[in-house]
Amino acid sequence: MRSAKVLVVNLGALGTEITKCLVLSGVGSLSLIDSHDVDSQDLESQFFVGKTDVGSKRLDAAAPRIQDMNPRVELYFDKDDFRDKPDSYFQQFNLIVATDLHSADIMKLNAISRRFNLPLFVAGLNGLSGYIFVDLIQFDATDEKLKSSVATPLKQVSQNREVIEVIEFLNEEQNKVYEKIVTRNIYSPFEKMLQEGTLKGKLTRRQLKRLTNAVPLTLALLTYADGAAVISPPELREKAAEKCSQLGLPSENLQETYIEQFAEQAGLEFAPVAAVVGGAVAQDVINILGKKQSPLNNFIVLDGITLDMHIFEL
Amino acid sequence: MNSANSINGRILGAENYQKLRNSRILLIGAGGIGCELLKNLVLMGFGEIDIVDLDTIDLSNLNRQFLFRQRDIKQSKSTTAVKAIEHVSNSKLTAHTGNIMDVETFPLSWFDRFSIIFNALDNLEARRYVNQMAQFLHKPLLESGTAGFDGYIQPIIPGSTECFDCTTKETPKTFPVCTIRSTPSQPIHCIVWAKNFLFAQLFASSASTVGESDLGTENPEEIKRIQQETNELHELQEYVKSGDESKITDIIRKVFVQDIEKLLAIEELWKTREKPVPLYDVEINDTINTDMSVIWSLQEQVNAFVLASKRLMRRMPGEGSIEFDKDDADTLEFVSTAANIRAHIFKLPQKSLFDIKQIAGNIIPAIATTNAIISGLSALASLRVLNLIRNQPEAKPTELNMAFTSKASNISSNRYISSPQLASPNPKCPVCSIARGVIHISSKTFETAKLSDLVDKIRDKYGFEDEVSVLDKSTQRLLADYDFKDLLDKSLSEVNLKHGVILSISDERCDVEELRCTTEFYLDDCEEKIGLRLPDIKVPLVKVAEPKKEDEDLDDAVETTTSGDIILDAVDVDENVKKRPLEDASFPPSKRIAEADEGITVILD
Repeated sequence: MRSAKVLVVNLGALGTEITKCLVLSGVGSLSLIDSHDVDSQDLESQFFVGKTDVGSKRLDAAAPRIQDMNPRVELYFDKDDFRDKPDSYFQQFNLIVATDLHSADIMKLNAISRRFNLPLFVAGLNGLSGYIFVDLIQFDATDEKLKSSVATPLKQVSQNREVIEVIEFLNEEQNKVYEKIVTRNIYSPFEKMLQEGTLKGKLTRRQLKRLTNAVPLTLALLTYADGAAVISPPELREKAAEKCSQLGLPSENLQETYIEQFAEQAGLEFAPVAAVVGGAVAQDVINILGKKQSPLNNFIVLDGITLDMHIFEL
Repeated sequence: MNSANSINGRILGAENYQKLRNSRILLIGAGGIGCELLKNLVLMGFGEIDIVDLDTIDLSNLNRQFLFRQRDIKQSKSTTAVKAIEHVSNSKLTAHTGNIMDVETFPLSWFDRFSIIFNALDNLEARRYVNQMAQFLHKPLLESGTAGFDGYIQPIIPGSTECFDCTTKETPKTFPVCTIRSTPSQPIHCIVWAKNFLFAQLFASSASTVGESDLGTENPEEIKRIQQETNELHELQEYVKSGDESKITDIIRKVFVQDIEKLLAIEELWKTREKPVPLYDVEINDTINTDMSVIWSLQEQVNAFVLASKRLMRRMPGEGSIEFDKDDADTLEFVSTAANIRAHIFKLPQKSLFDIKQIAGNIIPAIATTNAIISGLSALASLRVLNLIRNQPEAKPTELNMAFTSKASNISSNRYISSPQLASPNPKCPVCSIARGVIHISSKTFETAKLSDLVDKIRDKYGFEDEVSVLDKSTQRLLADYDFKDLLDKSLSEVNLKHGVILSISDERCDVEELRCTTEFYLDDCEEKIGLRLPDIKVPLVKVAEPKKEDEDLDDAVETTTSGDIILDAVDVDENVKKRPLEDASFPPSKRIAEADEGITVILD
């Protein structure tokens, strides 16, 4: 944890939340790359910049407030556009967290992260909703549990996860037998997740029926490779219906109010959603840097209205 | 920011955003959740936010309460939090330093000015109290809590959804910072001190150290004190880093002699307590005890403390910092011996290494990310409670959602957050099933009216018969019942009734099928010319349940929750739990409950 070098791409609302949590937790070194200027709307969801900073570079405004939280964390600030960096730039890090990116950039970054075998967390906000995509490529997690009457078998537990090792040990304090279970997590790249990810056979019919519209709509927004200044609800509905059929969801569940909400709120930052999604990303980053429990695998969507937050293996 | 170019305005809709800009809300608590929640509420643009906390900032807060710095130590939490967020605020922020249960500062009428109350509290007593105030005023309350990686939020709509007391809560054991730092009275206090203060400061410290420039005060004595404290801390950390093992005796002298002498100098602390005795004349020799299950002699503790310190110091250059882990023998021995030496100084019982391993392993640290997540959910949930979500039909109270951590709490592997809809009130709840009202009463009336005048008026207006009992709920004093009428002729002030007191009136008749519902009245201030005004509420007759049956019902309805603060009953536990072999068995609720029962679970915040 304290020797880890983490890169956070973009210091928007999510980048701010994630940075806050990582700096408080005492991560070894944190690099921030962001080329944006502070605009007045940033003040509605970002707290490392202030009213007097409008017009200056986000990183210039935020740097002193970030460092002040924990002088022990090594911080590096880079005001270049991350898209102008050579691929080799990313090789120096142990982990990349990318926020507020359009799909085309996510795919490019994901190609780089895979080439250098780097864990990648991607997160984005769409107004009242937000999502997390995780690509750790391959990750062996270790969990401990009390042994039940039957030993945990070595087997595939789900599409992306397989129990590969079970070690029994005696907990002397409790005089009970525990199991140390190593689960291998295999991850899909972003492009494959977006184009082929499905829930067919993974959820019960009742779960499929009750699934929040936020899931197909988030994926539908991610099909706009370079984003879109204006998103028309009918077009979004069509894309969401396609995603429904890919996921195996009944498309008649799509509600007009949700479609309109996502069309209007694509890419908008909302502070409480950033707090939940950013906190969840930071918690998992801290978890895997300490190599502890099962990490997120691999797509998470928050519906800020019902507060529903499912984890999907796509 | 006007709604036309505001992002929040686009998200909520112009009209809703304007409502939000015009609302005044109350946030109680400026700690782990409170700092995060204040930030969210300010950024969202609520018009006026009042924040209340009675506490001052402690070193141990800094690793998660992100609005506070080392230079703020000993300053008021609420005031400092407000100052620290002002750079982005378009809200009118008011900080109050005080106890929310102080009826003189915060009478019931004061709560009434807010459209919603956010609880970000760390103790059951204040949560219960605020819940009761919300019930009196029919004010929506957003309850929240975290313990380690577990957290929950619960909107409470009085009269329509479960209140905080509809399910029984186990008291999590939390301790005030001053008990830990200055006046320990139980062995556990010494263990928390050894683990979360001494060990954390010397070896783990991820908390920020002092910034040189801005100390946040102009007072030269204050500056001197802060600098002194900082220098001493630095000095100890430097000893550890230097690897110079001869400095261990300096550490012992500092924490077990000089710091105790400083405490002794504060005479007020020892008026009602036994004074600690600093560890003078300490010698170090070769006597060592290796039996984990017995209590070691003081000499053995000191020797083992020195050895554990040496081993930890040797590890520091390689590891940079060391986290406490009960299975890491060096860290455990350091914490165990330090706790026992401190217990000796304060004349408290000592514990075996084995016992301390159990207890220290159960101390749940507060986690910054959990607080961030829970505060975000709390802020989001408030929007639907206040009906500020665009294009969404107004939700019935029982269509609103509560939320709790699911994956992190090992309840489900495929839900990060579970969000079941709110339950209806428990008809047997001692708090929300009874009738409530506010009696307005002027100061002078306390002198002029007799207790019997008040009781008669209440009986007449709400249809109580002669046989009632009258209880002062605030102090649990019986004022009158069928065979205790001595106080009835006294004036209200003579029986110590005053503003802020809650009176409970119960129908005590026997052998009847229906009883008048128990009613609680809050005594609130009013103008002298009004004198006394009873509220226009209906107090219904309720059927008397057969005693035996009632007990059974009660058992069903109020399921005991024992997992600390987290409500795990009455929620729709993920239907997939049973199908998932690994996480299902990892730490299911029942298991965690058993663990909590066995040991002492301590939640720090």
